[in-house]
Amino acid sequence: MLKSFQAGGTRWSDAQAERPAAAYHEFYRDDFQPREHYLPLWKHIQRAGQRGLALKAREAHLALHNEGVTFTLYSDQESGIERVWPFDILPRLVTAGEWTPIEAGLKQRIRALDRFIHDVYHEQCILKDGVVPPELIYRGRDLCRDILDVDPPGGVYIHISGVDLIRDESGRYLVLEDNLRTPSGVSYMIENRLIERRILPEFFQRYRVRPVEHYPERLLQRLRQLSPRGAADAVVVVLTPGIFNSAYFEHSFLAREMGVELAEGRDLVCRNDRVYLKTTLGLRQVDVIYRRIDDDYLDPLVFRPDSLLGVPGIIRAWRAGHVALVNAPGTGIADDKAVYAYVPDIIRYYLGEEPILPSVPTYQMTDPQDRDYVLDNLERMVIKAVSESGGREMLMGPTSTAGQRDDFTRRIQADPRRYIAQPVIQLSRHICYLDGELESRHLDLRPFVLHGGDEIEVIPGGLTRVALTKGSLVVNSSQGGGSKDTWVLAD
Amino acid sequence: MLSRIAESLYWMARHLERADNTARVLDINVVHRLAAEEGLTEEGQWLPLLTILGADDRYAETYPDGRVSVQRVIRLLTQAETNPGSILNCLRLARENARAARDRISTPVWETIDALCRTAEARLKATLPPWQAAEFHAFVHREVATVYGLAQGTMMRGEAHSFTRFGALQERADMTARILDVRYHLLLPDPSLVGSPLDYYQWGVLLKSLSGFDAYRRLYQAGVRPVDVIDFVILNPDFPRSLVYCVSRLERSLERIGQRPEGEVGACLERLRAHLAGVGAADIMAQGLHEYLDAFLTALLELSDALTRDYFNHDV
Repeated sequence: MLKSFQAGGTRWSDAQAERPAAAYHEFYRDDFQPREHYLPLWKHIQRAGQRGLALKAREAHLALHNEGVTFTLYSDQESGIERVWPFDILPRLVTAGEWTPIEAGLKQRIRALDRFIHDVYHEQCILKDGVVPPELIYRGRDLCRDILDVDPPGGVYIHISGVDLIRDESGRYLVLEDNLRTPSGVSYMIENRLIERRILPEFFQRYRVRPVEHYPERLLQRLRQLSPRGAADAVVVVLTPGIFNSAYFEHSFLAREMGVELAEGRDLVCRNDRVYLKTTLGLRQVDVIYRRIDDDYLDPLVFRPDSLLGVPGIIRAWRAGHVALVNAPGTGIADDKAVYAYVPDIIRYYLGEEPILPSVPTYQMTDPQDRDYVLDNLERMVIKAVSESGGREMLMGPTSTAGQRDDFTRRIQADPRRYIAQPVIQLSRHICYLDGELESRHLDLRPFVLHGGDEIEVIPGGLTRVALTKGSLVVNSSQGGGSKDTWVLAD
Repeated sequence: MLSRIAESLYWMARHLERADNTARVLDINVVHRLAAEEGLTEEGQWLPLLTILGADDRYAETYPDGRVSVQRVIRLLTQAETNPGSILNCLRLARENARAARDRISTPVWETIDALCRTAEARLKATLPPWQAAEFHAFVHREVATVYGLAQGTMMRGEAHSFTRFGALQERADMTARILDVRYHLLLPDPSLVGSPLDYYQWGVLLKSLSGFDAYRRLYQAGVRPVDVIDFVILNPDFPRSLVYCVSRLERSLERIGQRPEGEVGACLERLRAHLAGVGAADIMAQGLHEYLDAFLTALLELSDALTRDYFNHDV
């Protein structure tokens, strides 16, 4: 671990010892010189010195605190703990050369997945052709029969997605997870950029960084276009589960940035298959709902009857074509982790193309051979529950105890459809400025994709999440991870 | 705007105003307690206060022995978790409502309410001796004033601001009427006390708890006379806590909100205005101050119900 800052040196002496052989280092080359595109940043870091960085880090924390940029950590208590967004001042750089295939790969992936959802809810050709096993869909918990044969406004299901990318030991980008329901993080991507611009303006002078702050503007345009009454008269709202949700900050951020109402389920009411906002001047019809509530809680008449978060009748209104829901109901069938293994086939099936971005090898626990192999090698596996997110119900093999492994063995045997396994991948690492030290930490990247039908747009950047615990591979914000501003460099 | 948000803003302001008024009357009583020793028991000193704040039943429940002491009154009205109207609970509710309407209030307003609530929670963990209570009450008084000042200086004059104003003005009118009612009720029955030092003291406290003592002295050179106090507190159009002032500003807030065509709030405000128009302090005394204020408070309650029906509730 770094103990002293060597202002004149080219690197920190013990950074080498800290780096395990396996993980790719984003910042250092194999000879422990900074990679070429990091050299200007590196010079700035050295010029700033320990005191300069400490000052910047303090400023950043203060700014995030004052602006109320928070994230709620769920704990045993229901209410959770509100924390200042953990932000590392050193940016992550992605070169134009790296970004081009990422962008193409994400567009390809989202286009195919969107067609997949449409197909499953209409003709089901892919199931009939046996490319994706029908039982995978029928035995999963996400297929919703109430929305079969519905044509969503604009014909698109996955309007907004956040796809988690990691880099493997050779530095190759892989898709780890598709988040197609209500992915969060885009507000933090923007806040990270705003803070970085303010505290490190000198860093920006040497780089041409592609902007991300226009996202809410683009989002609003896309949402308005979906209005059944036409974009000119569109009444758009953001639908939130409420202030106790971990991503409430983000919901209010987006509503504020777009200048639209932030509504809870109780603020909406359905009449005659239309959705209305309860305002001080009476009911006002709503055309587009950017909902940040999962399908399960969206409409107690269709999904969970005990839910108080949603709006009774909203699915009927959507089926009738009087309101656009974003993302459309049903997207869950495509980001089920059990479906993940079939995405390369899905891409080939609908687009007739080879996948640009590779996936992590995935073992199906429903397959006896796969299952036996995984159970014999649990220490080297990550086990994930297929319908969970945020790092819940997950086994990290290498750091697990025998008791935890026994527990998961029992769970997998009891309900194989519920779990998948992947080999542990050493996520790439990057230097972070932590408590006055420069240390390397594992990280991933969640870029955001807007699908507008004819055009798919990938915001150049994304949320880089950092595992703040040394050596940990768990980066989820809900598990206390940190973040970095992510700069996609222009050519 | 969303009904729920409007309602939150309205209650945020009411709870803040309520905390401020409670601190105000409590503080004045604590500070002036020593001056009143002559001829007044501790009960005589504190019971009216409990009545004004509608906390007498709660007091009897909490302290079944019926003994009234400063420390108990301070505790019940300032920090008791069990008293929904304690300053602490009012501030918590104000913060909760502010949080729900976070989008619609400016950042400085939110930060001040948040800090006020957190500081109050920290300071009210311990028992407050009277001198510390006075200091705490002054703090609440100042911070609430800061919130209002920031709201005035940083919030758009739209619906959000108007619902906030509406809540504060309505609560203020309510408290002013109640303070006057209870004090007058308590004082008047004994004519022998009129003009005595105690009488002067009691009316003085009333004016001070409304922050109107200095202004009153300048306006009414004849001294502290009940008829003048009534004129000042009910009918003076320029005194910011008078009933006339509050009602006229409520009307202005309603104009900004936009009156609902089929709504009743306008009619309720009209009734309140008519109640205050065309009478003098002597007329009010002649018809009975208590009856007069009682009718005012009833009309105010009707206004509150109408507001809820018109703007906050579209389920029915």
